[in-house]
Amino acid sequence: MNDATQIVRERATALLADGTVAAVVGWAAGRGDHDRHVFVARTPEEAALLVADQYCGALAAKRVLSLLDEGKIALVARGCESRAVNRFMADRQLKRDQVHVIGWPCPGMLDPATGDALKRCTECQRRNPVLSDEVVGDPVPEPELDRFAELERFEQKTPEERRAFFQDMYESCIRCYACRNACPCCTCRVCFVDQERVGWMGEEFTADQARYYGTVRAFHTGDRCIECGECQRVCPQHLPLMLLMHKQVRDIDGLFGPYPGGGMEPEGPDPLRTYHTDDLEEFM
Amino acid sequence: MPIAETAHEAQGQANEEFRPKILAFCCNWCTYAGADLAGLNRMNYPADVKVLRVPCSGRVNPQHVLRALQDGCDGVLVCGCHPGDCHYSTGNYYAKRRMMVFKRLLEFEGLPPERFQIRWISGSEAGKFRDTIVQVTDDIKKLGPMAADEPSQAVVAALRAKEGEL
Ligand code: SF4
Ligand code: SF4
Repeated sequence: MNDATQIVRERATALLADGTVAAVVGWAAGRGDHDRHVFVARTPEEAALLVADQYCGALAAKRVLSLLDEGKIALVARGCESRAVNRFMADRQLKRDQVHVIGWPCPGMLDPATGDALKRCTECQRRNPVLSDEVVGDPVPEPELDRFAELERFEQKTPEERRAFFQDMYESCIRCYACRNACPCCTCRVCFVDQERVGWMGEEFTADQARYYGTVRAFHTGDRCIECGECQRVCPQHLPLMLLMHKQVRDIDGLFGPYPGGGMEPEGPDPLRTYHTDDLEEFM
Repeated sequence: MPIAETAHEAQGQANEEFRPKILAFCCNWCTYAGADLAGLNRMNYPADVKVLRVPCSGRVNPQHVLRALQDGCDGVLVCGCHPGDCHYSTGNYYAKRRMMVFKRLLEFEGLPPERFQIRWISGSEAGKFRDTIVQVTDDIKKLGPMAADEPSQAVVAALRAKEGEL
């Protein structure tokens, strides 16, 4: 058992035992080797099942929102989960005193099947939690990497090639909405896609509809995206959704920046929910 | 056939078979008034543009632009008051930021920039309204219908061959 697992279990047990929190959100082992899933511990016995190692690939933060009725919730939070907590607060989904953040400086996650670093971790810019009530372990060095490298390679393509690429991508999308459901920015009670049609894909399913969904989903989260990469990680079709997110984040930084990315601060305003009268003018 | 008086008409004759459908979102307080004034002054501009009046450019949800392009429009124009002149003070400032990011996103996905244009036109700028409509119509006529944007088989085949390498 690694140190982080040990400390997380101890802390979770203590927080549950003295009634500080009603539940602890973290990860537990699944059936397969290195299989980890998001897990909610409500008793000290369940707290003994928590795991915090390099295979906890899923973003656990969004689970907190469905538990708020139960009382104060503790969340084991790496850099990405802590940014999600900021995101929730800025989006008025959560108040700071509703969550107890057990910060976990992140060692970087591995794919259980291949042992390679997860893509979302190779593009991470913030491994240490941006906020916490307590921290498990020592701070880790922040990675110095270019998260836009893939985007810049992609932008070498001609518009026609990009058109073909995205046509292909939207033809592959099965509109399962996993990308939306996993995203910590997607917290609308009624999503725009469900305003038009309830349920999964209709009989009239087309690539155009997938494009409408995919593009608008990306845009709705574009100026709030915490760049956790969870949308792409959960996509059963392995579609490169982070291209769309990184594109917008980099544009926003260039146009209205400097912009560090979503969820770095507990309050807005988000770049598309504010303006400056001297913003760049290109529509005159 | 009469001799074309302007480059615009010459272009129109060359593409006689293609009359683009262009949707222009015009804010009630400025651009729509500008369009009205252009009409009062009997200015000529192509009838390929359908004007849709909205209370404010800030009301134009960017997803309407994509939906219009998917549902048969060959081009979309979004117009509002000049920044600083919004009837609701700030609507067009928000619209500006949104449209700047959304336009880049659509172009990233391969949309030719001319198919989605944004312009600030005040209530007194009848001439600018006419010129904008003429220019946008010209742009779209040059591009042809949306279907003309379909990537060629060669590009699709090359892409499939390189599957997986981004
Ligand atoms: S997760 Fe992938 S397949 Fe599912 S809706 Fe999102 S993009 Fe489409
Ligand atoms: S859009 Fe994707 S990367 Fe951005 S916050 Fe949502 S899940 Fe994370």
